[in-house]
Amino acid sequence: MSRAVFLAFLILGHSVFAVGKQPAPQILGLRLGMSYTRAHARLTEIAQFKSQDEGQQVWTLSHDKHYQYVIIGFDRDRNVRYVTAIARPDGQPVSYADVGNLADATRSGGEGNLRYTWKANDKKARLEYLAIAKGKDSRYLNQYAIKRLGVTNEDDEK
Amino acid sequence: MCPSFSALLPSGVTPSNCKLKSIFLLSICCALVFPASASNPSSGTLSPANGSSTTWAGSGVAGATTDETTCVDGTDCDVFTLTLSGSPSNYQGLVLSIKITHSNSLNDYDFYVHKGDLSGPVIASATAGIPETSEFAIIDPTVSGTGVYIVHVVDSTVAPGDPYSGIATITTPPTDSLAHGAVPTYSNYQSPSGLGDSSGEPSIGANFNSGRIMTQAVFDTLQVTFNTSTSPATATWLLVDGPNTNITTLDPILFTDSQTGRTVVSQLFGTTSLSAFTDNDGATYTVSQGGGIASGVDHQTVGGGPFRLCTANQLLATPVPCAQLAARGPLTQYQHAVYYASQDIGDAEMALSQDGGLTYEAAHPMYTLVQCGGLHGHIKVAKSGIVYVPNKSCGSTQGLIVSMDDGLTFAVQPVTTSTPGTADPSVGIGSKGRVYFGYVGGDGHPHIAVSDDQGRSWHYDLDVGVPFAIRNSAFPEVVAGDNDRASFFFLGTPSAGDATGADTGTPFDGVWHGYVATTYDGGKNWFTVDATPTDPVQLGVICTQGTTCPSGTRNLLDFNDITVDQSGRVFTAYTDGCITAACIAKGNNASASHTRLDNDQATKATIIRQSTGKGLFKSQDSTPLRP
Repeated sequence: MSRAVFLAFLILGHSVFAVGKQPAPQILGLRLGMSYTRAHARLTEIAQFKSQDEGQQVWTLSHDKHYQYVIIGFDRDRNVRYVTAIARPDGQPVSYADVGNLADATRSGGEGNLRYTWKANDKKARLEYLAIAKGKDSRYLNQYAIKRLGVTNEDDEK
Repeated sequence: MCPSFSALLPSGVTPSNCKLKSIFLLSICCALVFPASASNPSSGTLSPANGSSTTWAGSGVAGATTDETTCVDGTDCDVFTLTLSGSPSNYQGLVLSIKITHSNSLNDYDFYVHKGDLSGPVIASATAGIPETSEFAIIDPTVSGTGVYIVHVVDSTVAPGDPYSGIATITTPPTDSLAHGAVPTYSNYQSPSGLGDSSGEPSIGANFNSGRIMTQAVFDTLQVTFNTSTSPATATWLLVDGPNTNITTLDPILFTDSQTGRTVVSQLFGTTSLSAFTDNDGATYTVSQGGGIASGVDHQTVGGGPFRLCTANQLLATPVPCAQLAARGPLTQYQHAVYYASQDIGDAEMALSQDGGLTYEAAHPMYTLVQCGGLHGHIKVAKSGIVYVPNKSCGSTQGLIVSMDDGLTFAVQPVTTSTPGTADPSVGIGSKGRVYFGYVGGDGHPHIAVSDDQGRSWHYDLDVGVPFAIRNSAFPEVVAGDNDRASFFFLGTPSAGDATGADTGTPFDGVWHGYVATTYDGGKNWFTVDATPTDPVQLGVICTQGTTCPSGTRNLLDFNDITVDQSGRVFTAYTDGCITAACIAKGNNASASHTRLDNDQATKATIIRQSTGKGLFKSQDSTPLRP
């Protein structure tokens, strides 16, 4: 009896926790809106620079058990506009539900091309952002990104 | 009877083409009645001696298939295995000549030569069309090596009763390797005042059904009709804006499916585009969804063409993957695919429209920034339905992104002969699948490479700017017609220096012209022509560093475009940055200054139209082009 109550508490507790879970505005300590200098300081702690294209940078993560690469882009003020983490193929998988409450996400795509998108708000930093988890698998993601809304891309056109 | 077999036919086969359908039907019957057969004998060996030869006979099975990727061995293609003995050095001064012949000039065989096995690189091919009754290729064993070669003979369009015979010979090389024929000439048509005045990064397309040209110049969608009853032809320009495509623009794109006549106009607008399509060259439009669900926000491209569907023989041989492909086929009466691609937050994605561009599926990832740079060139679709997107930087080379399943999955193929560049490359796809990859190399020169195996291997990588000593080039654009014919448009200058940078130091001094290089022999040789000889396109720098370019350096924006009409005539769209008499005079004065300070910084829509010379369709050669 007490064991059943305990299990019910665990399940209920997890559900309550999941319902309230909003994807964080940071991945691997790289926070949206963070300055270029601070972002680089963090990146050099956890990764090695790989390449750069149109102001977007690819870094190879040194020891992360989930992700292999992180891609980072900046806005015109040189603050972090987006962060994308690419899952390590042989690493510890990350489920879509690990990122945020799936009930709060918009689900698009289908089998082999799944995507969950959360629109979230960091009241403290006063920024709106998207969190996007994509994957081929129905349970585990291949890449996870957070992206600030309402800022100008470094490479916005015309 | 013909219509009932439509679902089994390759996507390039139109409902009116009952001859091909009959061939298909017959080939199916043959495939069912006769067991799979191969060439006879199935193999031969050659030694490094002048005159060493071997012959074989084809299996004699008929069929019709678009290219090597759509045939089934033993049914509508067969294999002859050729072994060259000795070492490559034994073949100094000798070449391997491979030739197949048949009798009926209404039939068409092709062959592809793989090194090693059927999955090995295609190092030579012979894809001439009707009415030729022979196909011929030369291979240099000192370059390609000795050992096993696979001659893959494909029934392009072959009715029963016309088997081929093959011969492979070790011989001395042919002495003639120069391009022959009349050099094409070109005329320039500037848009009239008030139209196309702000035309950075123009697109162009040809509607084969109406004969009209469609072009997009930032906000202006223009229909251009050439009156050919006079010579030189006159052009009538008409503004035909879509209902929602002249409001705002982050990137303008126009795509015309020359076969169906549908033109899609797209203006980037965040994670989708404001887009509409027209089936009557802009007289009326249908507003569409715009782009793929949850696409990226930058540098969109729209393209299209036949769906990749199984041929009848493939359907018999591999029903399960064929059913998967069929599920991504057309959902409406519009029989071609439309694709939308763009990039954002670390990856690039593509979405398929199965209803002619009205709606799009959720976008599929093409690649991430780990594999290639984010921005890409424009979508091109082969007759067999293979989808290509070029990229200027994929690791240590440029790259070609390839989808064999209607945009479901993608492979990144390095263009192994290239180095990364700063301009989006461009591809043209020949009628039987040959890929022409035009690019600006790391050396700034205009290069074009050729692949006969969907980008898995490359050959003939040539610098086509050599005849004009071009040291810097920009905006490479390619279109192909017949498999052996293609044109490559680029802006070029003989001036050395940082011609495409930010121009922050001593201003770059150079005069840019528009050049068109054309091949009629599959990319072995190119005619390069200065198509703007007395009227420079730009003075000074053409910055290709996006929005980081300082003011006054990026008036041309990011690309130009090229197309071909139903007669094989080549058209290009470019932005003219130097349009006043004073600017043009400076450009034509070798001793004058030619920096951005001398340039007009104009953005005027201009079309180059091929005046004379052979077009890109051999079937039209009997009607010479008139100016």
